[in-house]
Amino acid sequence: MMLLRLISWPYVRKHRLRSLLTTVGIVLGVAIFAGMHAVGDSVLSALSVTIDRIAGKTQLQVTAGEAGFPEDVLERVQSVPVVAAAAPVIEAVVQSGIKQEGNLLIVGVDMTGDRSLRQYDLEDGDQDIVDDPLVFLAQPYSLIVTRDFVRRTGLASGGRFTMQTMEGEREFTIRGVMRPGGLSAAFGGNLAVMDIYAAQKVFGRGRRFDRIDIGLKEDCPLDKGQAALQQALGPGFQVDVPAVRGRQFDSLLHVYSFMVNLTSVFALIVGLFIIYNTFAVAVTERRAEIGTLRALGTTRSQVIRLFLLESAMVGLVGSTLGVVFGSLIANALAGYIGDVMLAHYGIALGASRVSLSLSLIVTAILLGTATSMFAAVIPARNAARIDPVRALQRGWYQVLSADENRTRQRAAVLFAALAVGCLVLGRSRAIFYLGYGCFVLGAVLVAPTLCMWLSRVLRPVLTVLRPVEGALAADSLVQAPRRTSATIAALMLSTGLVVSLGGISRGVYGSVVDWIDSFLNSDLLVLASENGTNRSFHFPDTMTPALASLGGVADVQRMRSNKVSVKGASILMVAIDMDKAAEHGSGRVVAGAVKQMYQQAAAGKGVIISENCGMLQNIGMGDIIEIPSPSGLLRLPVVGIVTDYLNQSGSMFVDYAAIYLRYWRDPTVDIYKVYAKQGASAEELKQRVQARFSQHRRLFVGLNREVKARVMNNTRQWLGMSYIQIAVAMLVAVLGIANTLLVSVTDRRREFATLRAIGALRNNVRLTVWIESATIAFIGVILGFAFGAIDLRYELEMMRRDYAGLTLDYAFPLRLALILAGTIICAAWVSSLAASEASVRNSPIEALAYE
Amino acid sequence: MNKPLSVFVLLGYTAYAASAQDARQIMTEVQNRTQSKSEHYEGTLEVINSSQKISKKRWAYDRLGVYGNSKSELRFMAPPDVKGVALLVINHPDRASDQWMWIPAEERDRRIALQDRSSRFFGTDFSFEDLEERDIDRYDFKLLGDDKLDDAVCWKIESRPKESKTSQYTSSLLWVRKDRYFLVRTDNFAKDRLVRQISYRDVESIEGVWTALTVAVVDSTRNSRTRLTLAKVKYNLPIKSGDFTRENFRQ
Repeated sequence: MMLLRLISWPYVRKHRLRSLLTTVGIVLGVAIFAGMHAVGDSVLSALSVTIDRIAGKTQLQVTAGEAGFPEDVLERVQSVPVVAAAAPVIEAVVQSGIKQEGNLLIVGVDMTGDRSLRQYDLEDGDQDIVDDPLVFLAQPYSLIVTRDFVRRTGLASGGRFTMQTMEGEREFTIRGVMRPGGLSAAFGGNLAVMDIYAAQKVFGRGRRFDRIDIGLKEDCPLDKGQAALQQALGPGFQVDVPAVRGRQFDSLLHVYSFMVNLTSVFALIVGLFIIYNTFAVAVTERRAEIGTLRALGTTRSQVIRLFLLESAMVGLVGSTLGVVFGSLIANALAGYIGDVMLAHYGIALGASRVSLSLSLIVTAILLGTATSMFAAVIPARNAARIDPVRALQRGWYQVLSADENRTRQRAAVLFAALAVGCLVLGRSRAIFYLGYGCFVLGAVLVAPTLCMWLSRVLRPVLTVLRPVEGALAADSLVQAPRRTSATIAALMLSTGLVVSLGGISRGVYGSVVDWIDSFLNSDLLVLASENGTNRSFHFPDTMTPALASLGGVADVQRMRSNKVSVKGASILMVAIDMDKAAEHGSGRVVAGAVKQMYQQAAAGKGVIISENCGMLQNIGMGDIIEIPSPSGLLRLPVVGIVTDYLNQSGSMFVDYAAIYLRYWRDPTVDIYKVYAKQGASAEELKQRVQARFSQHRRLFVGLNREVKARVMNNTRQWLGMSYIQIAVAMLVAVLGIANTLLVSVTDRRREFATLRAIGALRNNVRLTVWIESATIAFIGVILGFAFGAIDLRYELEMMRRDYAGLTLDYAFPLRLALILAGTIICAAWVSSLAASEASVRNSPIEALAYE
Repeated sequence: MNKPLSVFVLLGYTAYAASAQDARQIMTEVQNRTQSKSEHYEGTLEVINSSQKISKKRWAYDRLGVYGNSKSELRFMAPPDVKGVALLVINHPDRASDQWMWIPAEERDRRIALQDRSSRFFGTDFSFEDLEERDIDRYDFKLLGDDKLDDAVCWKIESRPKESKTSQYTSSLLWVRKDRYFLVRTDNFAKDRLVRQISYRDVESIEGVWTALTVAVVDSTRNSRTRLTLAKVKYNLPIKSGDFTRENFRQ
């Protein structure tokens, strides 16, 4: 501690700006890690809270996929001897229609029997929360809302507001208010309860329930109850505890988690490099100090401990600040991520502030501190090895020793060879990721060598541009690799990450464009919800002939989608009119004979799966898929594989009439694809559809180009998370280069003073520093592009194997790369301003006297 | 067993059997004196909650059949918010009744599940189970003695459902007026805790049938009460069985 106080603290105080920049490196890494994980955790936590609160005392839930099941299943459940209470439920998410209130989660329950399972927060059990239960039942547009909702909206019991229903816009009346806590806490308080049969009418559910919540008799163990119910209902139903629903949502966030983890890891690695660089420079700058300490009897281990302790302090301070900024990032991102969840997964989270859990805070601080200490290990070891005599000599330390260089190069070659070997041989996931790790390590180890080589290559070019300043800048890089190589490595990694993620984004975008042209090929789309992903609303199939008989309509294709569990994964089952799909085309065929596969699927003798479904679930042509349905377990062979991007976990297509109507007995439709007659105007047809149906029904009609634009907008929104990486890359540039240049300027005070003494102007000196910073940025960007080009290959493979099952085309994001290059070089210039001013601030005489 | 003890046991058993027989006989007579082939009345319902807030409704009630094996329909007439809501109850002598509710605005009926019968009937202090008729053969009775209620001498009888799992009540205390064999009060218990107290007042003989024109329910747990006032009571009307079907119910 005394060494820390006497040796480290004065150094930190002397180099405040540099210390700050070093700390910011860890702040950045920890902030991104904590912030993005906090948002992800909040998403799942919000879902879990909602699921738990709504479940109440429910012990088991009966479901049959997303489509629900007919009402008569309730009597079957109630007749099982172990069942004490069985309450049917419908859930739907709707726009509240109230400004700034967003979505409302409506829970439809049978109030006559639901009280045994759910707390509606009756105090003492002696006071109604519904003013008049009979009126509540008699008037279908009645709601019980939360106290929180009432407080925010200013509405009271008896108050009214409008919402969109399947019958069009309707006015709802608040007939009761729940007290805080319990059910009220679900969905951030944006929850309302209505009668289940009214909910069926309002949301077009026909005579179906989404699920049945069950309370078992007192003496019945959970597993026995589960087994009894499963046996009574058969394999087409799932009987699970409520928490299972939350775990299903977990899998939906798989791809988001992939991006978060990747960004977080790279942000921390970048922070690691910045700290390494700082400590490496600090060791060389303080070599005299260290040599003196060693000469006075300080042991090597004490020197190591000193530097590790310093790095731990930096890490602790940086991590703590990082956690604070992480919280700000999380709240800034929360709204954006919430919109993405709703647009892409149909999951509405409810308004809530994001906060970091204690475990996440502790993990982030430990991670940041550990990263900082890890970054200081090599410099600390080097410091401990300093010969006290040599420590007092100048100049030699900046050159990478030939031995050190060779060791690095050999290690780099070894890791590169391992990476290639793993790529060639690696079928297993472990070997693939081992190869990836070797590639990254190899790239980092070879970066200093490449940096020196590129500096030498650029020297003649810089000399041509500015003979003196260019030469000085290039020489600084060549002669002091320790100062710059870590910064360039950090730049290389962050730029490479942006390039590879940009490549993935471009690949996804391009693939979606191709897919959308083949899949959304009708003139109009008629949707039950605005974005097509909210499955709360459905059209009745009785609308189909009415739509088909409209003037100008050549054909109508039905589409009904809902999630089912296949091999433990949540797969999107899409029921379509297969004969029409065969006629009009639907998706690029990857495997299977086109005509035959549609014929078989239309006859109900097979299922067509998406490419990513096959990849992720390991299903191929001819394999039998078991699909649970309310009428029993379906076993269908795979008759075709198509490219499809409807669902990240995969999708499968079945015939609407032969399979869906027959086994799900659910005559509802989510989307109609409407094909216009030859010569008919799509705009006029749209108006005709709206005029015919919108008076009595909720529907959204979009022209082909409008719907495509919305889909592409949603895709861009999802991919917009890659902008976070670009911001990270820019920050790295600013931090790393500023740090490096400050050190460079300090080291070269005598040099600059000599230049000034022989007639160089301040601007000449400034220009030298600026050129040096631009060159560092340029080298970092070039290496980053090369790293990113290879890294992209790996990440496309990761996407294909493990995350989305999608085969994306390799496309180097040239436009993004050029924008990034320009941005980083400009950022580098900005970051050099402080250093360039520092270089000209002192008088030449003082600087020449500097030792 | 020794002789004095066996005599004692035999006397005790005989007394018990006699009291049980008397209680059953009393209840049989009670049931007989309220029998009619059919019934109609218009009821006014007042619910007074713990905050003393009063809500009023009116319904029309029709019933056909003997006690415990009958069909009944209750249809709300006022206020306008609830007009047309109806409850159809088919009572069976040997099992729990079948009950359906009709909501005009939803244009469908819904079954009231057996497990839900303990829940309150449309916000009143009656439960759905209280609207059932259960034949006395489904209960065990025990005469507890005499008691005085509202200046009337009554028998006090304890009843317990034979099928305990089909009732929310574990036991009930019944007060029957000796002079008229008329049930004037029921205290219903769930595991020794008083749940509901139903009082039958303003008793009149209408067409030879003793009828309570006021039925008052007090819910002990909720501290609320409901008063049902009967008017236009008629018996033995020519009501058809076909009027009490789900198809006819959906009006």
